[in-house]
Amino acid sequence: MKTVDLTEIPALPKLYVSAVGTAARQKLSGNRGSSALPEVRHSVKGASVDVGRLTAFQNVLRMPVKDDLPSGFVHAFAFPVAMSVMAREDFPLPLLGMVHLRNTVEHLAPIDFRQSLDILAWAENLRGHRAGTQVDMIVEVSSNAELLWRGNSTYLAKGVFLPGIDEVTARDKEQFEPPAPTARWRLGAGIGREYAQVSGDFNPIHLTALSAKVLGMRQQIAHGMYMASRIVQEATPPGVDAFAWEISFEAPVYLPANLGVAIDENLDDGQWHGTTFSAWNEKSRRRHFHGSISPRS
Amino acid sequence: MADTYLNLVNTGITKEIAKKLGLPRPSVLRRFDPSKPLVPGPVLLLGNGESVTTLSETMLAWNLDVRRHATPGQKLGAIVIAWDTLTAPGELSETALAVGSALKDLLPGGRVVTVSRPATDSDAPETAAVRQSVDGFVRSVAHEMRGGSTANGILLGEAADAGSTGLIATLRFLLSGRSAYVSGQFIEVSNDAGELPTDWNKPLDGKVAVVTGAARGIGAAIAKVLQRDGAQLIVVDVPQAGEQLAKVANKLHGTALQLDITAQDAGKRILEHALSRYGRLDIVVHNAGITRDKLLANMDEAKWNSVLAVNIESQLRMNRELLDSGKFGHNGRIVSLASTSGIAGNRGQSNYAASKAGVMGMVRATAPAIGSLGGSINAVAPGFIETDMTAKIPFLTRQLARRVSSLQQGGLPLDVAETVSFLASDAAAGVNGEVVRVCGQNMVGA
Amino acid sequence: MASSGNPTPGQQVRQAVVIGGNRIPFARSGGAYTYSSNQDMLTAALDGLVARFGLQGERIGAVAAGAVLKHSRDFNLTREVVLGSALSAHTPAYDVQQACATGLEAVVGIANKIKLGMIESGIAGGVDSASDAPIAVSEGFRRVLLDLSRAKTTSQKLKALSKLRPSDLAPNAPGTGEPRTGLSMGEHQALTTAHWEITRQAQDELALASHKNLANAYERGFFDDLMTPYRGLTRDSNLRADTSLEKLAKLKPVFGKNLGDNATMTAGNSTPLTDGASTVLLGSEDYALQHDLPMLANIVDAEAAAVDFVHGGEGLLMAPVYAVPRMLERNGLTFDDFDYFEIHEAFAGTVLSSIKAWENDDFCRTRLGLDGALGSIDRTKLNVNGSSLAAGHPFAATGGRIVASLAKTLHEKGTGRGLVSVCAAGGQGVVAILEAR
Repeated sequence: MKTVDLTEIPALPKLYVSAVGTAARQKLSGNRGSSALPEVRHSVKGASVDVGRLTAFQNVLRMPVKDDLPSGFVHAFAFPVAMSVMAREDFPLPLLGMVHLRNTVEHLAPIDFRQSLDILAWAENLRGHRAGTQVDMIVEVSSNAELLWRGNSTYLAKGVFLPGIDEVTARDKEQFEPPAPTARWRLGAGIGREYAQVSGDFNPIHLTALSAKVLGMRQQIAHGMYMASRIVQEATPPGVDAFAWEISFEAPVYLPANLGVAIDENLDDGQWHGTTFSAWNEKSRRRHFHGSISPRS
Repeated sequence: MADTYLNLVNTGITKEIAKKLGLPRPSVLRRFDPSKPLVPGPVLLLGNGESVTTLSETMLAWNLDVRRHATPGQKLGAIVIAWDTLTAPGELSETALAVGSALKDLLPGGRVVTVSRPATDSDAPETAAVRQSVDGFVRSVAHEMRGGSTANGILLGEAADAGSTGLIATLRFLLSGRSAYVSGQFIEVSNDAGELPTDWNKPLDGKVAVVTGAARGIGAAIAKVLQRDGAQLIVVDVPQAGEQLAKVANKLHGTALQLDITAQDAGKRILEHALSRYGRLDIVVHNAGITRDKLLANMDEAKWNSVLAVNIESQLRMNRELLDSGKFGHNGRIVSLASTSGIAGNRGQSNYAASKAGVMGMVRATAPAIGSLGGSINAVAPGFIETDMTAKIPFLTRQLARRVSSLQQGGLPLDVAETVSFLASDAAAGVNGEVVRVCGQNMVGA
Repeated sequence: MASSGNPTPGQQVRQAVVIGGNRIPFARSGGAYTYSSNQDMLTAALDGLVARFGLQGERIGAVAAGAVLKHSRDFNLTREVVLGSALSAHTPAYDVQQACATGLEAVVGIANKIKLGMIESGIAGGVDSASDAPIAVSEGFRRVLLDLSRAKTTSQKLKALSKLRPSDLAPNAPGTGEPRTGLSMGEHQALTTAHWEITRQAQDELALASHKNLANAYERGFFDDLMTPYRGLTRDSNLRADTSLEKLAKLKPVFGKNLGDNATMTAGNSTPLTDGASTVLLGSEDYALQHDLPMLANIVDAEAAAVDFVHGGEGLLMAPVYAVPRMLERNGLTFDDFDYFEIHEAFAGTVLSSIKAWENDDFCRTRLGLDGALGSIDRTKLNVNGSSLAAGHPFAATGGRIVASLAKTLHEKGTGRGLVSVCAAGGQGVVAILEAR
């Protein structure tokens, strides 16, 4: 696999703009591209974290202002590199309108904001989904050749069916009965704008009711990574340095919203064996996301 | 509560208008002020009773300008008459007329004080007559006084010597501003008991006093005066009045005891508090009282019973507990609040008057027992006193009640307190079983 | 006694003695004290204490008190109160804050200073007003204001102001929610109540007992020397002497409604928002003797505990359950050694869950590290003069109410011990042992 070295982490708005261009060109040329992922890895070496941005992120997520990077922040910081892969002209799926299905992350060691970080991103595992085609975007963050953080974000291109990729038949939706909440999140209408400011993800579906409607959404929706960052922060026991987490997104969270949140910790003899979590709409009782955190040694 | 009329006729332009219109002009009374002399001018000492020596020596020791003969035109602060050896009415004339001609020279806030013996059944008719005559004389002179001056008498009981401590203490009380609203009254010194204070301005120094109903009004004033006179205070009131009670306690550096005096163990708890916190109890002032006025025809059981329970039954119970305890009585002083309603009666107050008359009966009957222990018990019967309670009386009735007294005004809670403090002092130990009216010689009860 | 060589707080230092207490009647929020500030109420409670014990103008060793809901102007609340009281202005003071355990922790802190000989006398207290609660500007507005104050030039100022959004102007009232979970205390307790399968009837019975016990205490004049009326209020306004199980049964659940039929917590078996203040006078034995003051009880020992409620490990208000066995072990005591139990009734469910946990073999083994169940509490010894369900619960004032009442109860009995247990926000709890004198 070829590695493309980028000089810096690309800016998301630029990627969105170029993605719009790519989509238009593909539409004009009628070229739907191939059914294969590009055999390429994008790399940024020696990226550094701006402490002001980190602080702003921690403030919006109501996290303690600490020198170690929150797991969700690493994602927000490094993911544009993966986005640049998705924005390539030879990427088989359209970037715009992709739905974030799930994340799995291995956070292997604490990352201080002063560390110089190397980021490597690629796409893999293009496969079918009952509603279209899904792909895994892999991001690795390392420092001095030590892998510190590895994320796998699964995206769905809704309604895109590529030749040679099997369709998956729809499964029965599992019944969800909200458990007793251990927390309540009151998400204001502006939470999407706030998170966009600190994550750089200005996808219009998160910003205002109007901008979301333009893209076919009923209202603006919360960033999946806002919720992932927040739940991981809240549910990881203090003092845990190495851990893995995964989150699956279900119904989108239309803003504003009150979410019931349940965090269930598996403790045995005072030892932490992992935590599961879920969140749902207090009114409709639909589940928005669920996932787990587990220790890594 | 403030007597606006009194203020109007004594100040500024309204004073001149009142003068011209010939309106009654009540005077601002001469009240106790330690920075001012005991009496406002020289004292004319008349009469030739046995007590003359004591009176003269005592007043000279107080640095008073004592005269045996009046000089017309020479202003006087007080006239003291030694009439304790009278045997027939004919002996009155010379001195009585001398008093009359000296009255014109009496300064505002002046005093007339007689010293005589009470008429008793065993007296010869002539002696009894003249002794009783002094009574009528003093009460009439009191009615004729102007400028806030008063006239009162001291009676020397059979067991009281002409030089008794009680005579000296009572004389000082009646001459001083402490007795401002006491007029037309007789105070009997029944024996020679008592001890003069080292400092007349701190007669209660070192004493521990309990005042019930002390959260407000007369009770709060009593507590304040007792504290001023040197006592340490335990102020008592019902728990409901605790907020005001705490304020009184904090102002007086005393302790607040929230207690319903109708409780069976009230006396015990008061004694316990006093002994555990102060190691002693010297003075108990039964001031707490309530009114539930209603014409008798409309009186219900609750109104009758509650007034009797608070105003007299609780006092009886507490006195019994105090005296039975063996820890109160030696030099112990009890002062109970009676009322002129209990003497003369009052429409709509059959329950209240019964309870207050009961207090007077109790005081007289308790006196021998407590007296034998070296203690004393007396009652103070206030007349019309300017309080929150009397402020509720309709305006015209209130004005009338004020003006009918010889002093043409209502008294202040302070005036009641001064008399209580006098009776609570060791110097007044010889006064026992008395009811002293603080009423400005109000018509009510004469 | 404790087998380790460590000193036991109750044994090896001099005694800290409860001399007495004073509180103002507690008022339901929005009632008699609506326009009284924390400073007003604590001053009233302190002045009543001064009046009861004749402390006017006296220099006390220290006054420690606090409030849970606090205005920024009250940063030095207790000292300001002392300055406005009848105590000597030379009395030092400091603020304490441990949520609902503030009052008890203040008592413990003062008692420890006395035990160590640092002070001879001290006053502990607490106050809270849910009526006169602080209202803050929104986070956005606050940041704009702070940026504005730092801005030097006009353009910097305009830039700072430009960040202001209309929604920032809405004020923030204090929530009773836990900051880390967003759930109210009642919602948290509802989870615990359901977990321990505490029935609606059991909760209502406890609430009824609280009202009856408090009403009886008033009837026999128990509070005559523990309370000073304020603003015309002479009794706790939440007290319903005439309530009954039937009346309590009619109330609708207000917490844990997502539990459906398992929702059991009503306004009747939960404490209402309350305003009030309390104080406790403590001293060394020497101090009490020299000043001819009563000695009601010794503060023997105390223990604090905390639980991790954020991650679903334990109920928010269950910390005292952990603190009690640790304290008992240190003092070589069991429940049988106690004559009175004062378990703060944040909710009826809190008390009943705690009792049930102590009776549960498995829980005591796995969670508390004991050999088996800690034991049962004789319900006739529980909250004998009523507790927060009837009296109300002005957060920081509850500790002082309990300590003063228990000390008096112990003194009246003349012998024995009492256990105090107070749960607090943040998954905390403080417990203490008092001993009669």
